[in-house]
Amino acid sequence: MSAEPFVTGSEEAAGLAEELLAGLAAEVYPDAGRVVIVLQPGRLHEAALKLRDDKQLSFKYLSFAGGVDHKDRMEAIYILRSVNHSVVAELRAPLDRSLPVAPTVSDVWSTAGWHERETFDLLGIEYEGHPDLRRILTDAADGVHPLRKDSRPQRVKREEWRFEGIGAPRRLPGEEERINRS
Amino acid sequence: MQNEPDLRLEEMVLNMGPQHPSAHGVLRLVLHLDGEMIVSVDPSIGYLHRGFEKLAENRTYLQFFSMLSRLDYLAGFFMEWTYVRCIEGLMEIGPPPRAEYLRVIAGELNRIISHHMAIGDYLLNLGAVTPVLWTFRDREDVLDLLEMLTGQRMMYNYARVGGVRYDLPDGFEEQCRKFLRRFPVMIDEYEQLITGNEIFLARSLGMGVITAEQALDYGLSGPNLRASGVAMDLRRHDPYSAYPELDFDIPTGASGDSFDRYKCRIEELRQSVRIIEQALDALPGGPVNMRIPPMLRPPAGAIYRAVETGRGEWGNYLVSDGSLRPYRLKMRDSCFVALSTMPKILPGHNIADVVGIAGSLDLIMGAVDR
Repeated sequence: MSAEPFVTGSEEAAGLAEELLAGLAAEVYPDAGRVVIVLQPGRLHEAALKLRDDKQLSFKYLSFAGGVDHKDRMEAIYILRSVNHSVVAELRAPLDRSLPVAPTVSDVWSTAGWHERETFDLLGIEYEGHPDLRRILTDAADGVHPLRKDSRPQRVKREEWRFEGIGAPRRLPGEEERINRS
Repeated sequence: MQNEPDLRLEEMVLNMGPQHPSAHGVLRLVLHLDGEMIVSVDPSIGYLHRGFEKLAENRTYLQFFSMLSRLDYLAGFFMEWTYVRCIEGLMEIGPPPRAEYLRVIAGELNRIISHHMAIGDYLLNLGAVTPVLWTFRDREDVLDLLEMLTGQRMMYNYARVGGVRYDLPDGFEEQCRKFLRRFPVMIDEYEQLITGNEIFLARSLGMGVITAEQALDYGLSGPNLRASGVAMDLRRHDPYSAYPELDFDIPTGASGDSFDRYKCRIEELRQSVRIIEQALDALPGGPVNMRIPPMLRPPAGAIYRAVETGRGEWGNYLVSDGSLRPYRLKMRDSCFVALSTMPKILPGHNIADVVGIAGSLDLIMGAVDR
C-alpha cells in the first residue's frame, strides 16, 4: 500500500460505485465529500461484499456502522473508507421503524461486530445473523433504546439498600414483589 | 457430587477491573484462564458511559461545544476540531488560512501530549516507573504552551466555527521554538532509556501481533494500524486543514506487535516537531476568526468528517434538520475499535501480558464509552 493515495473526486467514485452496484443500489450520488449509496436492507450484504472486494474501489476499511432514527423510519448507516483512494462512502438502508431489522455485515468486516452491538443497544436495530448481539454500553431495560427519538430519560427511583445480614441474598426493597408478579 | 459433563475443571474465570490501576479508566476484562494462559477474553465496557450522543441532541450546537474535550480528555482539541469541521462542512464555509495553521499547531501539540501519555503509561504498565516521570516532565512543558495558546491545560474550547478563539499570544512563538529545539534531544533520551532495554524487548517483541489484514478487517487506525505496516494516515489519506502544505513522513512498523506500536509513537513525536516548526515558519497573516451568526442553524443534511488524532480516526457523523440542535451526532472512536480486537489477539498470551498489550493499544475509556 502506498503512502501517497491516488485522490479521486467523489463524483468519479460515485460513477465507479454506480457501475459496480448496478441493479443493487436504488440511488448513488456524491454529497459533502462522500459517496452516498442508498439501498434496500435485503441487498446490503451482497453490496458490502462487492464494495470490499472490488480491486479499484477497495473499501476494505469500515469506519463505523450506526443508525439514525428519523421518527417515520429508521436508517442503518455504514461509513466505508477506500484503502487505495481518498474516498469515503456511506451505505444507507431505510428500515421499518416498528421492527428495524438489517442483515449483519460482521462477516464482511470484523469491526462491525462491536459497532452493531452498540447500534442495537442505543437504537434497537436488530442485526440478523450477528454472532453475539448483546447490549454493550448501557444496562437499560428490555425494549428501551436511549437514542430513539421517543425515548425520554427516566428518573430512577432511589431506594436504600437493606442489610439483611451476611450471606443473605441482597435485594432492593420491592424487588421481591416484582419477581413474584412476573 | 455430580459434575456436569461439559464443565471444564481446569478453566478459571478472572474479573480484571473495572477498578484496576492499569485499566486506563474503568475497563473490565472477563478473562478465562487455563493456568497462566488466556483462553478467551470478553471486554465489558460502558462504566463511563455518559450519553454524549443523546446530550448533543438536547443542546444547541454551541452549548454542546464545551463538553467535547471531555470525551478523549487527554487530547481534547481533536474532538473540537472534528465537530467544527462538520458544522463548517454543512454551512459550506472555510476558516481563514491563519486559523487552519493555528489548528494544526494546537493539534500537533495535542498529539505530543497524547503520545507522552501513551508511552509513559505503557511502560508503567510493564513495571517501569522512570519513563512516565520523564514523559510527564516534558508533557508539562507542552501543557504550558497549550495554556498560553488556549487559556486551558486540558479542556481547551479553542476551536470555533469559522476559526479559532485566540490569536498567538506574545512570547508563544519564542517559547514554542525553544521547546522544539530541546524536545528531539528528549526523544533521544526516551529511546536510550527504553528502546534497547532488554526487559522491555522481552515483554514487547512478538506480543499482541496484529497482521495488516487483521488490522484493516478490524478497522484499526492511527499508530495501531501503521504499526502493522499499513501507511494510512488521514492527514495524508483524506487531507484536511493545512496538512497538504506541510511535509512530514508516515512512520510504519512491520510486524504489528507491541514494540512496533511503541516505535511508531516515538517516530510520530519527531514528525510532530517537524510539522509545528513548518507551521510556525509558514504561518500566514490575517484574521483567525470570521463572523458567524450567534444562533447557528446549519442547513439540513448529513455529513461525515474525521480527524487523525493521536489514537487514530476520530469521526463525527452529524445529521442536521436545519434547527438549532443537532438531530443526530454519532461519534466514531478509535479506542473502541482497538478494544474490540482484544478477544482476537489476547488468547494464547500469559496473564501478565494483558496489561502490557492493553497499554500498547493506548485505550482511553472516556472516548470508548462516550
